[in-house]
Amino acid sequence: MEFNLKIAGEAGHGLLSIELGVTEILARTGYHFFATKNYMSRIRGGHNFHMIRISDGPVHALGGNAWEMLLAFDKESGRRHGPTLSPDGILIDEEEIRRIGQDVKEKFAGSFAANVVLMGCVLAAIGCNPETLPDAVMNEDRLAMIREGYRYAQEKNLAGKFPIKPAAGKFLRFDGNQALGLGAILGGCRFMAAYPMTPATSIMNYFANAAGDLPLHFEQAEDEIAAINMALGASYAGLRAMTATSGGGFDLMTEGLSLAGMTETPVVVMLAQRPGPSTGLPTRTEQGDLNLLVHAGHGEFPRMIFAPGAIMEAIEIARNAFDLADSLQCPILILTDQYLADSIQVLEQDVPLSVSRRNDQAYDETYRRYALTEGGLSPLTCPGIGQALVRVDSDEHDEDGRITEDLDLHVRMVDKRMKKTTHMESFSRKPTFCGDPEAEWLILSWGSNRQIVEEAVSEINKAGLPLGALHFSQVYPLFPGMTSEWNLEARTLVCLENNATGQFAGLLKRELGVDINHKILKYNGECFTAGEIREHILKIMEVKP
Amino acid sequence: MTTLPYDIAWCPGCGNFAIRSALEKALSELAVPPQQIVLTSGIGQGAKMPQYLNTNYFNGLHGRSVPLAVGIKLARPELTVLAVSGDGCMYGEGGNHFLHTIRKNLDITILITNNQVYGLTKGQSSPTTDRGVKNPLDPLGNPNEPLHPLTLALAMGAPFVARGFAGEKDHLKELIKEAVRFKGTAVVDILQPCVSFNKINTYQWYADRVYRVAPTADRFEAIRTAESWPDRIAIGILYRDENRPAREIRDLFPVHTGENDLKKLLNRHHT
Repeated sequence: MEFNLKIAGEAGHGLLSIELGVTEILARTGYHFFATKNYMSRIRGGHNFHMIRISDGPVHALGGNAWEMLLAFDKESGRRHGPTLSPDGILIDEEEIRRIGQDVKEKFAGSFAANVVLMGCVLAAIGCNPETLPDAVMNEDRLAMIREGYRYAQEKNLAGKFPIKPAAGKFLRFDGNQALGLGAILGGCRFMAAYPMTPATSIMNYFANAAGDLPLHFEQAEDEIAAINMALGASYAGLRAMTATSGGGFDLMTEGLSLAGMTETPVVVMLAQRPGPSTGLPTRTEQGDLNLLVHAGHGEFPRMIFAPGAIMEAIEIARNAFDLADSLQCPILILTDQYLADSIQVLEQDVPLSVSRRNDQAYDETYRRYALTEGGLSPLTCPGIGQALVRVDSDEHDEDGRITEDLDLHVRMVDKRMKKTTHMESFSRKPTFCGDPEAEWLILSWGSNRQIVEEAVSEINKAGLPLGALHFSQVYPLFPGMTSEWNLEARTLVCLENNATGQFAGLLKRELGVDINHKILKYNGECFTAGEIREHILKIMEVKP
Repeated sequence: MTTLPYDIAWCPGCGNFAIRSALEKALSELAVPPQQIVLTSGIGQGAKMPQYLNTNYFNGLHGRSVPLAVGIKLARPELTVLAVSGDGCMYGEGGNHFLHTIRKNLDITILITNNQVYGLTKGQSSPTTDRGVKNPLDPLGNPNEPLHPLTLALAMGAPFVARGFAGEKDHLKELIKEAVRFKGTAVVDILQPCVSFNKINTYQWYADRVYRVAPTADRFEAIRTAESWPDRIAIGILYRDENRPAREIRDLFPVHTGENDLKKLLNRHHT
């Protein structure tokens, strides 16, 4: 059983507060749910909608089926979303919402009381046990408003109309950016500098908020160029450091990325994608910046690029990124997108609470920052902890970090830096497989599409059709060993991405010589739903649904 | 001239030699161990300064010496941090960083080796080149008003603003010492000739014009002094505000996040 709720209206109607309020109570009362949103780049007006899928079992994507309930805050919302309401679905339209507002005006203070009453109505519709509410809603006034919603649902015969069991037990809830923020803290990141940009800002919010209690520092930079340079300065000075941005901000950071490559200064950069080019669609989703990250920065230097597809994966990748950045002394890049950033999910696993850290050694005055070694990695340390002087240069430099124009030495330094790629192979994250391992057909995806594809594949397998899927959370570099066990040459491959050109399909061809047979591409700014993927793949496989 | 143990990329007679020597002496007289000092610089001839001093340095990108210094200071408040670069680097490519870093008022020193010309790229107008000066990219003469960097620094609220001259080495050395000792952002614009590409603003040109001033705490008086150009050019500490506290920074370096901190964080945001 599941219950799909859509909350639609203008920016300023308090829709986000309803989404956050309902999901908070769902989390505290033990429900499985998945929530995401579709909103415009404005503060008031326009048209936004928030979606919550509540289920008896784990859900990590939108199903793509009809909606069981629609809260339509204006006529536009009724017009747009009314047709997708299930025949027995509940519609509370703008007139009804106004009426509820009038009815409760006397009873409750605050202009958004009706919204909290509506939250109660939603909870009543799924049969959420009212006795569990006091522990979930810690505010008496709010609790009274929610109870009013239950009364309203009773009166309209909506209570328990779509009963869902709270089967999730106790768990944590995360959106994708919070997962990256927590992962960074677990990875020992102590310093973040950034310039606000949707959809990356919530990573900054998380870190800045955590810095209130924890030994972390967040610095709002004057621009993204300053942000990455501040992060590099902090990293040079001995703190694990990161920055985060979206595509346009990352464009500005690319010279800094190249600086990190040349100076071998560890840094983690998170990029939350939105549709481009240019300002594009600031609040929508896309996977259009993969090529940007692969090629960003002038000159040649190694980097690793990760793209998590689930909350736990985002925490792990962000955590490991800081160990990797120090071990490899190169930039580690993490790609996410608006969809994952703005989706609130249930985390079924426990988060391991150990914090990784950088342990710089104190060296004597013979220390050489760029000492040439067998493996290409020089000892990393920071100023002021020993007798060593730490000299770092953006020009080509000698082992001491002083400018050189000795061209033979330049070649040795290039080779030293590029040797890191060989170490990356041992640190690689293999792609994750789901579905039928014997299937001829295989969907390849990366980043935020992981769990949407998993649901689609599981549904198709349940219907008796063989199909598998391979999800890449490390998108660069790609080593043959990452996919060899899946024998890609022998299968029919479908690459699924949120972009117009199939950037990952192109990368697979270039790096691994893999030929993709079909592409499923979506680039209208919205995420895939499981149902949509199912439909696409069945059509390509020429199977009648 | 004493022989230095470095292969120095400056032209013979360059003002940077005197600035280097003043900076070296200032740091040595301040008695901060070289391990506790970090110089950051950008790109240009002036930005090569840290190469020729015995201390830690991060020689970064053109225009970016200041955000590097900010990151270093925020991470390690106990370190003595100086950003040093030329007029093109600090006022042109890095102009935005110059403005906003002053607003932060961290305890750092910003030294600008200002020769009113782009030297390393061979003689183009810099932000401080006077109007009408002809050069390869302005064959009809520079059409732009020169930037008055110290007026700008004062307008942004810099609490310590000074001007030095490469031709007055001991005076410059004392200025740098005062700037480093000052608790807050200290801006020192250092006039220097470019013997290869600036045939107007020579040692003699500056020597004929500079005069020494005593510090004032009156910002508007300081702005008037800073704007006196080019007939009479004030050198010295133009403005000093002892009452403005430098931004305080938590010393994070020795502290680490514990398990209880994390449990609180999870409780607050994720349950």
